[in-house]
Amino acid sequence: MFGALNGISTTVVRGDAKPILKLGEVVELEKIVAVIEEARKNLLTMYEHEKHVHLDSSLSSLEIIATLLLRYVKKSSADPVNRDWLILSKGHAAPALYAVLAELGAITKSELVKINSTTSVLQNHPEITTPCVDISTGSLAQGLSIGVGIATWIKRVGGSGRVYTIIGDGEQDEGQVWEAITHAAALGLDNLIVIVDWNGHQLDGSTKEVKPKDYLPFVWRAVGWKVLWANGHNVPSLIIAIEEALESDRPVVIFAQTSRKNGAHEANSNVS
Amino acid sequence: MLVYKSFREELGKLLVEVGEKVENVVVVTADVGKPTRAIMFGERFKDRYFNVGIAEQHMIGFAAGLAAAGAIPIVTGFAVFIMRGWEQIRNSVARMNLNVKIVATHAGYSDHADGASHQALEDIALMRTLPNMVVVVPADVADLRRCFEKLVLRYRGPVYLRLGRDYAPPVTEDIDYEYEVGKAYLIREGYDVAIMGVGVVLHEALKAAEELARLGISTAVVNILNVKPIDVEAIVSVAKKTGRVIVVEEHMVYGGVGGAVAEVLAQRCPVPMRVIGAETFGRSARSHEELLSYYCLDRRSIVKVALEMVKSGGRDS
Repeated sequence: MFGALNGISTTVVRGDAKPILKLGEVVELEKIVAVIEEARKNLLTMYEHEKHVHLDSSLSSLEIIATLLLRYVKKSSADPVNRDWLILSKGHAAPALYAVLAELGAITKSELVKINSTTSVLQNHPEITTPCVDISTGSLAQGLSIGVGIATWIKRVGGSGRVYTIIGDGEQDEGQVWEAITHAAALGLDNLIVIVDWNGHQLDGSTKEVKPKDYLPFVWRAVGWKVLWANGHNVPSLIIAIEEALESDRPVVIFAQTSRKNGAHEANSNVS
Repeated sequence: MLVYKSFREELGKLLVEVGEKVENVVVVTADVGKPTRAIMFGERFKDRYFNVGIAEQHMIGFAAGLAAAGAIPIVTGFAVFIMRGWEQIRNSVARMNLNVKIVATHAGYSDHADGASHQALEDIALMRTLPNMVVVVPADVADLRRCFEKLVLRYRGPVYLRLGRDYAPPVTEDIDYEYEVGKAYLIREGYDVAIMGVGVVLHEALKAAEELARLGISTAVVNILNVKPIDVEAIVSVAKKTGRVIVVEEHMVYGGVGGAVAEVLAQRCPVPMRVIGAETFGRSARSHEELLSYYCLDRRSIVKVALEMVKSGGRDS
């Protein structure tokens, strides 16, 4: 996985961003990568205990979630406009969030294997009753609209918080996504960053089979978003894209190319 | 012709009033700022007014986000199109118990000219099934004024406030009553039969009660006002006293106020009961009143049902 450092120049479509990886940051990068490896083990252990977790979708979002939580999402302030928000609009990747949160000490590791039992705080889709879950999600596209609302109020009152929202590719079949992204562009929300887990699959099959959506990046660009690409399993690639997004004067979407089989061989297909 | 006060004109004024008092009150609408009169707030507080375009589902989620970040969003829209965002109200608002105030105008038959597509007759049923949601239907402008500030500024949590468009004949203007979440109140005493309901049909209920009095039948009229949480004790106590209950509502007879009252009475105090309401979609008409009589929600229909109930014996049969 540390080979990822070497992959910067080949795996990223970078636009015109300045180089941002400095020597001192390698440690942090190593830490993120180490957490991801532990979180992947956590995920697979959870799946051993509970086959109803959405393993594929969780695996594809793992690096995105870990990179955001370890490096970008700052929640030191209790003030809702001076802290960052992480919204997992593709709520079915909740197990990946829990797997990372366990590595950060926000939830206990022993809790992970209890997921979906009635005695556990961990449910298959995020609920705000779980520590470090900012927004309850699970119904696709809704997290994005909520993110637009939060980012709007932060901007309106001059807060410093940012909103990071993770959405899926299949999720964008929902008309509400169109309603949300056109509004965000109209509001000029430069504090809103959306990362698309571009894994090419939705519940009934590949996105190509169900409904092709290759046009989506063009749509986001046309309505006024800055569009970036990243390798969603490569931490430096994600970091470079997010750093560029932080400098944007418009809302930014990062299409993060991913694979559902990320680091695991067994896949589940009958969770819903 | 008697000129009635208007629900939406009063709403516009009230929005400005709460906006003056608390600076994190914001108003959100979906390209119906003018017809809902939300624009009156927008003209006064430009930077706290958000028109999301014709996008009701996003409007609800957007308001949920505003609330999560600390604002008090008042969502305004036509009741029928707010229903389009029902699942967003469920998952983005009610599930997190967010402090979003949904003000649905043009409910019932109040958008008389626009016909079936614009007449919301199912919204109470949808909203009252939601955990955390408070559902309030004022009878007239005075009722709206009594409850509005409390629901927006003092009650914390999601609210569905159902209003008509313009037609708002006086029902409660002369009544000295302080609004409380979850409370119903008596607007006329009576011992033979009780008419319960919400909204402008209570005007017809009062007229029916006067007519029944002339016929020697003493009729109580109850303004349910809070459909959820519903005032179980008030409903039971009036039902015990009168032994017969008629619910009249500008809503489908399925799952609305009639359903809510029936749930209470069937479990606590079963008495003969009738529900007068809509059984199908609406249609265009030249006035709101015209539709109330067309769909048998007027005083004549209520009197007829009351007489049938009294004749059939009711409490002592």
